[in-house]
Amino acid sequence: MINNTTFAYIPGEHEAEKASNSYLMSLIVLIAGFPLPIINLIATLIFYLSNRKGTYFVRWHCTQALLSQLSVLFINSYAFWWTVSIIFSSEEMTSRYLAYLLSAIIFNIFEFIATIYTAIKTRKGIHVEWWFYGSLTNLICKAK
Amino acid sequence: MKKVFLQGLTIIVLFFLTWFLLSQIDWYTIFKIKKVTDKTEEKLGDLFWNILQKTEKENKNTFVINVIDSIVNKICLANKIDREIIKIHIINKDEINAFALPNGHLLVYSGLILSSENQEELSGVICHEIAHIELNHIMKKLIKEVGLTALISMTAGNNGTEIIKQTVKLLSSSAFDRSLEKAADIKAIDYLVKSKINPQPFANFLYALAEKENESDKYFAWISTHPESKERGKYITEYSKTITIKYEPILSLNTWDKLKEKLLNNKSKYFKTF
Repeated sequence: MINNTTFAYIPGEHEAEKASNSYLMSLIVLIAGFPLPIINLIATLIFYLSNRKGTYFVRWHCTQALLSQLSVLFINSYAFWWTVSIIFSSEEMTSRYLAYLLSAIIFNIFEFIATIYTAIKTRKGIHVEWWFYGSLTNLICKAK
Repeated sequence: MKKVFLQGLTIIVLFFLTWFLLSQIDWYTIFKIKKVTDKTEEKLGDLFWNILQKTEKENKNTFVINVIDSIVNKICLANKIDREIIKIHIINKDEINAFALPNGHLLVYSGLILSSENQEELSGVICHEIAHIELNHIMKKLIKEVGLTALISMTAGNNGTEIIKQTVKLLSSSAFDRSLEKAADIKAIDYLVKSKINPQPFANFLYALAEKENESDKYFAWISTHPESKERGKYITEYSKTITIKYEPILSLNTWDKLKEKLLNNKSKYFKTF
């Protein structure tokens, strides 16, 4: 799911720190934004926008950190609105709903672990590519 | 590009597969959610009924109870409803009202029986209230309006009598959601048809109530708690048109008349005391 590969060039200390911060940013908002999933995306988006003129390594990892939010954004948004409809409408709490919540939690845990791992590795200057999001980032983020 | 698409698809499939597999497990039993809500419902039902017993006068006449029981028995038997769940209470009151409390307590006011033109009308209202019980609408409404925490707190004796009284009032004099009312109507017709009771008089009863809707009479409580009676009468008529079955009365005409007579006698006795 996560591959340690070599980047086009060896990133400098300052670059590694910034790239690693993009994951830490998404990690913090993942905790804060769990009840309101859109917060995750907004915070990572702000970090991405402020670093879009950075070096290739920084841009690449900011993009991957942003894109990796997508799956949990959809999963958590659906869980959030489902919960709201149970509380405020006639919708009933079912085993199907509980199964969804558990699936969402499992995916969030995976995302959480992967984010911590990537933040540590990137801080050391190691290039980490995620399954799907890494390939997607390669398509979007090109060296200038 | 194809690789990215396939990888993305794999993630989506993986999520739905996890959800599907986890859905196969009965989480309600594992987390004992049902047990907690069942116990709360049981306690709430008894709590509310105890409060009402203090303010309302229950009719204990054996004949009246037996007659209403025979209607409920027939409906339950024909629809495979556990008869033990439904606890019928007949209340001596002029209000045209019937409502359900948690844990299957069903209150029928004598005013409703007396204003029913025939047994089919009364059976229709009873079926409608049984449908609310069977579809778990009472607990749904309470959880939505009062909240589960407040309800559990009530059962633990942490709330004053006034709050409990207000909650009982919520059940006896306020409507369910429109969708829940419609669901209970449709279910009630199914119950009636399976019990070989003609649903048309129930629709007629709603039409008659609709005409009285503007009168805002305090005795017509079932109207205010069941709005749009005309519209409901219409869809019940439409629905029952599709059913072709031979209907049979549960009670003889003699028993029905005698029931009304007993209730009228009781009413005059009640007024004589003042």
